[in-house]
Amino acid sequence: MIFLAVPLRSQTAVEGRVQLLESHPVPVMAKRYEIVTTGGVLATEPPLAVVYLEGTFPKAAPRNPKQVAQKDLAFLPPLLPVQVGTRVEFPNLDDTYHSVFSYSPAKRFDLGRYRPNEKPIPSEVFDAPGLVTLRCDIHEHMRGLILVLNTPYFTVTDANGRFRLSGLPSGRYTLKAWIDSKTTREQPVELKKGATARVDFP
Amino acid sequence: MIRADQANQHGILSFRTKLLLAMMLVVSALTGLGLYLAQRTVAANAERYLQQNFQSELSAVDKVLELRRAALAQRCRQLVSKPRIHAALEDNALDLLYPSAKDELRDLMEVGEPSSDQAGISLRARFYRFLDRSGGILPPPNQKDVGELSKRAESQLGFKKLPEIQQIGYISENTDATPEVVDEVVAVPIFSSETGELISTLVVGFKPFRFGNERVSGMRSGIWVDGHLHLPSPSQPVGTALASEITRAIMKSNDAQGNLRVSVDGAPQLLFYKRLNPHSLFSAAYEICVYPLADYMTRLRRLQWQISGGGALFLLAGFVASHLVAARFSVPVEKLEMDSATNRAERERAEAALVSASEELKRSSQYSADASHQLKSPVTILRTGIEMLLAREDFKPEIYEELSALLHQTHRLTGVIDDLLLLSRMDAGHLQIESAPVNLSQLVEEWLDDLSALPESPEVRIEKKLPPDLYVTGEKRYTSLIVQNLLENAWKYNRPGGQIRVVAFRLAEEVRLKIGNTGRPIVRNLQEHIFERFHHTSDASGHGLGLNLARELALLHRGDLKLVCSKDDWTEFELCLRGSSLAKNCANPPG
Repeated sequence: MIFLAVPLRSQTAVEGRVQLLESHPVPVMAKRYEIVTTGGVLATEPPLAVVYLEGTFPKAAPRNPKQVAQKDLAFLPPLLPVQVGTRVEFPNLDDTYHSVFSYSPAKRFDLGRYRPNEKPIPSEVFDAPGLVTLRCDIHEHMRGLILVLNTPYFTVTDANGRFRLSGLPSGRYTLKAWIDSKTTREQPVELKKGATARVDFP
Repeated sequence: MIRADQANQHGILSFRTKLLLAMMLVVSALTGLGLYLAQRTVAANAERYLQQNFQSELSAVDKVLELRRAALAQRCRQLVSKPRIHAALEDNALDLLYPSAKDELRDLMEVGEPSSDQAGISLRARFYRFLDRSGGILPPPNQKDVGELSKRAESQLGFKKLPEIQQIGYISENTDATPEVVDEVVAVPIFSSETGELISTLVVGFKPFRFGNERVSGMRSGIWVDGHLHLPSPSQPVGTALASEITRAIMKSNDAQGNLRVSVDGAPQLLFYKRLNPHSLFSAAYEICVYPLADYMTRLRRLQWQISGGGALFLLAGFVASHLVAARFSVPVEKLEMDSATNRAERERAEAALVSASEELKRSSQYSADASHQLKSPVTILRTGIEMLLAREDFKPEIYEELSALLHQTHRLTGVIDDLLLLSRMDAGHLQIESAPVNLSQLVEEWLDDLSALPESPEVRIEKKLPPDLYVTGEKRYTSLIVQNLLENAWKYNRPGGQIRVVAFRLAEEVRLKIGNTGRPIVRNLQEHIFERFHHTSDASGHGLGLNLARELALLHRGDLKLVCSKDDWTEFELCLRGSSLAKNCANPPG
């Protein structure tokens, strides 16, 4: 971290720590699937958070597609934040069929059943902001989350909740932390050019 | 006597009748009891058999139903765990619910009409609906896709509150095609995989399970739900009547199962009901089995007739047997009765005869005794007078002769009176013998001497053959009287120039004295009467008492006197007396 932080020090950035959810002792069955629901709340396990800078930015979505793989009967990564308009590919890295679909209001799609190493890799463009719950029609327990954001500035915290978001425009913004499907915290942040602001989400 | 016989007859008759009646009563009671028990057992057995039959049928039904339900429930659970359905419900995509379900339930739903042989066991659904959180129906976008249902039927699917566990129900439906259709409904709760909350319920309708028409002969099964009875083929009024009977029974007992007898159209029916969906939130539904009892009743009645016939035969046999036994029992009793009657009569007769005879005897002996005494005194006076006359010397000689003859007659008269006196004493039983050894030889000798000393004794030769000192047991007076009697007779009835033979000897314990004499024999037809009192002798010289007296005395001495023979100028008597031991032991017996 320190090694990384040194060359980026000159950029406009925000860093801090998100107070993550308590790591629940979850049922063994659910452990490997990483998206757990507790009382109707979807979150990752171990807990992670997505920190993003809210606002309207001219920066377009990246051309390169992102990927959510199905590996070991789980979505990997379990939680993927993307900018609106991003194409996400769903490669099947298992030895079995998968059938990825979502009925979430943010994005309804259904890739149907497909084999491992299906070419071209089934993909979907996420063009509306919101939380998309990924399911597999074959493996009912599989859950994945794609957080579709309007902003191009977002990151996933590490396991301790630390984050650093760099390359940001200066100005006053609202920094948000998505903790689980029901919880998003926000903090005002003032970004100064070349400086690293410090924002913690208690 | 005749009246007694009649009474006896009556008694025997009544005894026999009573015995017969008692036995018949017992036999009847036993038969009745046997019949009653047999009938009861048969009826109970038949009832039990029927019940068992039904129970086994029902349990078979239960097993099949359970399996089917388990299969149905399994399928429904699989359905409600489908990710698309969950996604639709959880991700607020209700518009996608039925379309998703349509895909998922494609293999479950019927496509077209199932073939008839599969209809019974088909696991295909006829319709399905989802319920919202409040228990109402989530309206399907297209009725055709989810199985058409009437409004009324659909309304039966909802709940006031979503059930947390699977429910089984039956709904009756009115459609135009079939007036009454019952559907088996499985309601499976759907829990959110995210919140764990009860978010919906899938209700799937199936055709209810149907067995083949004939299981137990004539048995029909159907379903009663909510006051409506659905039987395969009852005529309308019968169905209605049955339905009301069942409704009443179910309302009354509130049991999960039971049975009752109902009469529909005058035909008895056995009716079983069993709750199909116990503890269900759906309205109660009952499996109904209706079994017409006509056959069973006929069989039972036939059996009862057979039993009754058997009982009647048994009764008849019992009656006959009891009659025979009564007759058999009464025979010895009758005989006993008769015997005792005869015996009694005879005894009475004998007693009466005895009494009269004894009175007669008493009277006659009394008479004899009186007569003897009355007679004795005048005779004594007479004799004394004659003797006084004889003592005078102033009579002519022929008068003395006459007086002597008179005196002789008084002597005879005295002898007769003495004999009579003795006899009457014997008759009265007053004569006691004082037994002592008596020298018979001596007695005979003395009497023979006396006889030979008699005047006017005829010229008879006396031949005697008797051992000296032959002793007998008896009283000397009476033994002497017997001997005197016999010897006097032998003398008296002898002819001139005749013979008297006296023979005495000892034979074992007895001593026999034989006295024979020549002379005219006793007339043959009088021979057997000579020992009778006052018997008629051929000549007037005897008074008819002597032989009688001699014999009575001999008998009194435990001996006997009999006539040995009386013919051809020879009459012989034999006297039998008890020998005395003195004869042997005493060489010199007393005088």
